[in-house]
Amino acid sequence: MGFENLLANVPIPKEIQDAVLKINTSVDSPLFAVVGDLSLSGNYGDSALFVYNDRMIAVDESYEGGGDVILFDDIADIKVKRMYGNAVLKVEDSHGARRDIIRFTYSVADVCDSAALFIEKVKAGEDAEETLEIVRSTYKNLRSFCPKCGRKLASPDADCLNCEGKSKIINKFAKYIKPQVGTLLGCLFLSIFTTVMALIPPYITGYMVDKVLPNRDAQKLLFVILILFSVYILQFTVSGIRAYFLRLAGDKIIIDLKSDIFAKAQYLPMRFYDKTSTGSVINRINGDTAVLQSFMLRISQEAVVQAFTLVGVICIMLLMDWRLTLLSLIPVPIVIFCGRYFGKKIAPMYRRLWRRGTSLYTILADTVPGIRVIKAFTSEKRTISRFQRYSDDWLKEDKIAAKTASAFPSIITFLITCGSLIIWFIGGNWVITGSGGATTGLLVSFISYAAMFYAPVNFFANLSDSYQSALASAEKILDIINAEPENDFGKGNKPERIKGKIEFCNVNFSFDRSKKTLEDINISIDPGDVVGIVGTTGAGKSTLVNLLLRYYDDYEGEILVDGINIKEIDSEFYRDNIGYVQQEPMMFRDTIFNNIAYSNPDAHVEQVLNAADIANAHGFISRLPDSYDTMLGERGTGLSGGERQRLSIARAVLKNPSILVFDEATAAVDSETEHLIQESIDRLIRGRTTLMIAHRLSTLRRANKIIVVDKGRVVEFGTPDELLAMKGKYHKLIQIQSMSDKAREIKEAENLEISIG
Amino acid sequence: MTSRRYIDGSEVRITPNDGIFVDVEFYGGLKIEMLEPKRLFPISGLSKYITLLDSDGNEAAIIRSVDSLLPDSKKTILRCLEEYYMIPKISRLISRTEKFRIWLWTVETDRGIHTFEIINHITSIKTLYDGRILIKDASDNRYEIPDIYALDRRSQKLIMPDI
Ligand SMILES: Nc1ncnc2c1ncn2[C@@H]1O[C@H](COP(=O)(O)OP(=O)(O)OP(=O)(O)O)[C@@H](O)[C@H]1O
Ligand SMILES: [Mg+2]
Repeated sequence: MGFENLLANVPIPKEIQDAVLKINTSVDSPLFAVVGDLSLSGNYGDSALFVYNDRMIAVDESYEGGGDVILFDDIADIKVKRMYGNAVLKVEDSHGARRDIIRFTYSVADVCDSAALFIEKVKAGEDAEETLEIVRSTYKNLRSFCPKCGRKLASPDADCLNCEGKSKIINKFAKYIKPQVGTLLGCLFLSIFTTVMALIPPYITGYMVDKVLPNRDAQKLLFVILILFSVYILQFTVSGIRAYFLRLAGDKIIIDLKSDIFAKAQYLPMRFYDKTSTGSVINRINGDTAVLQSFMLRISQEAVVQAFTLVGVICIMLLMDWRLTLLSLIPVPIVIFCGRYFGKKIAPMYRRLWRRGTSLYTILADTVPGIRVIKAFTSEKRTISRFQRYSDDWLKEDKIAAKTASAFPSIITFLITCGSLIIWFIGGNWVITGSGGATTGLLVSFISYAAMFYAPVNFFANLSDSYQSALASAEKILDIINAEPENDFGKGNKPERIKGKIEFCNVNFSFDRSKKTLEDINISIDPGDVVGIVGTTGAGKSTLVNLLLRYYDDYEGEILVDGINIKEIDSEFYRDNIGYVQQEPMMFRDTIFNNIAYSNPDAHVEQVLNAADIANAHGFISRLPDSYDTMLGERGTGLSGGERQRLSIARAVLKNPSILVFDEATAAVDSETEHLIQESIDRLIRGRTTLMIAHRLSTLRRANKIIVVDKGRVVEFGTPDELLAMKGKYHKLIQIQSMSDKAREIKEAENLEISIG
Repeated sequence: MTSRRYIDGSEVRITPNDGIFVDVEFYGGLKIEMLEPKRLFPISGLSKYITLLDSDGNEAAIIRSVDSLLPDSKKTILRCLEEYYMIPKISRLISRTEKFRIWLWTVETDRGIHTFEIINHITSIKTLYDGRILIKDASDNRYEIPDIYALDRRSQKLIMPDI
């Protein structure tokens, strides 16, 4: 029995191999194995399940002899029971006795699910080899790691964006500097010029003190002052010009970076947004880019200038007096040591500060759009105090960081000042005793140079501060830049026309591992079919169509359209061919016209009018004072739910798609509007494959097929008549609804009477 | 909607059934079998409001507080919850390394030593007010640090930047 090539979720540990070899006495090899990570008692440890054609072997420390053989024939029912953070594989035998086979964390739950499904299917008489395919696809999904770096890939066979770009992380940011290189180089040149200019005055001052003042030469004094004056004019004019260009270059960099992140954010998968708060995305696009920009400028400009100053000053100082130079170097190691220590200390503080800042943004992003709810529940005060609490948190963290961040420069400056005291003391003594040719002028200009010398030292020591806060920001930006975008393996693969045949083959999907949202979905829809999807709320109907729209890619199994795996079709083209009317239609802050034309910006005016007509929206739009020019508020405020719904249908009409998806287009409207919308839908669906999710079955009278979804599974699928004859869930739903419809009719009639009478 | 049935204390006897399931017998004589206890507040209130679900996921009753139950019943319920909820308590951080923006934590917990991945440390680590920290790994398993300040200094230092 070989373990090397055995299908397993992780390499099989030695102890497990030994255990199973001891138990297994026959020669055939297992088909696949599941390595668990908990013992039955709930502690971390090894366990495993080996699945054969007709039996399975469970390995766990609690079994006598290390393991147990369970024949499929002895199993009446097998399933994975998910608990909280862990799950067990449960088996019920033909006498109704239940037992736990192995236990594992969520990390293993998916493969165990698939093992249970396999056993269930094989027991039901399905072909083992065929069924094994389902298991393989689960393992494949699990195993999509980059062979080079071990990072989990977005989907199997995907390029590892990380390996591809690992060496380029620096380049990633350098890319934004590149277009400005010319300007930046120019600025650099100007900076060097100003630096040279700055190096001149101390020298002249020394000359003045030594040669001009003692000789009482008024003319020379004037001459020297004039020279100084011209040097200053040059220096500050040039530095003004430089500042202007530098700022310009910096602003261009930041705009590029922002637009890139924004663009990238558009292509991130839904998964990313399920997990990331709007506030943190805004914080990254706005705040972090600014931090990063200032750092990039510091590095590309100031660092060079300061280094240049440093070298220049040291050279001049050495030329003037090497002994004094050495003296002034004394505090340097201390300054550097402090800088490093400080950097280590402040880094975590900045990261924490970032998190607090993001929480604040998140509250903003959450409350401003929710202002209607806040007012409705008069929770203004609560909201304010919540914001206050988070602000306080931020302030607390900021206080800690501020203490360190402010103490440090003072300490450095103090050390530097001490350095100049040493020069005054020793150099002054030399001047007094006249040793080594030291003069007052030399001392004065030396002190000036020493001060200039410490500016760059200070700069480099402090660089770690801005480096750390830039790093915290860069990290967050990289989170977006490096996040895997939606995959588009089939880029360029555009079939002539999408006819609209849709197949789901063995599709399993979960948002997180704690629960299967869709399980074992197998359906086939023919072109032109009008398919109603019904089921209780939370059953997974919207999720089903979300998969069809490729919002989520990491499902197991395959979804085919016209026989092609949808992952292999150009995703832009593919989505262009699907019209989607959402459960909560989303409008943008724009005119009604643009909102309809959103699906096809090149559409002719009359096409838009026509689409609005088909959607029964033209009537109400033309009655608005500004008609098609009516400006909608954010997310479409200013319209009623039913009106928004009709706009969203008009959008779908304008797109002229081959496949139409309605997610409860009539959920939130009265029966008259429902009728209007229904009419428009009827007009729209002619000749197109249509999926229609509906709670009200009256909406589905056009459907020639019905899918009943329950707890993530398709429980019934067929024509309405077939399903009615089955007297199952669909039948029950119809009965309930016709009862409540009657009730509604009576109530509406009553209301009418009341309002009339 | 039927009115909710609350269990306040000694009016019931709860006996273990299979694994995480229990039988509940009311002193009125009603007996319901195979109920699954679940916490309504698994994060904020560990012993308050335990719901009892039948095999269809419908609620049979709610226990207001475990502490008010008879000692044997209480033990049964606590044992089931202990079995059901696996939130290892981290007592020490052995290492925390980052590779390609995936964090690998090796920790010592009350259930043994374990290594897990955190993909996004911004959303996976949640700090509560009293120093309690909740962690969710890449596979949606949960972990808890009951009190960060009670950990040893090295562990604290490793975690601090993330919270
Ligand atoms: N983004 C998400 N993250 C995690 N779970 C989700 C997410 N979206 C939906 N779910 C869960 O998945 C399940 C199916 O949701 P879905 O929206 O598909 O239901 P539905 O059948 O469309 O219900 P309804 O009729 O109310 O619209 C629900 O239990 C829901 O809680
Ligand atoms: Mg829905």
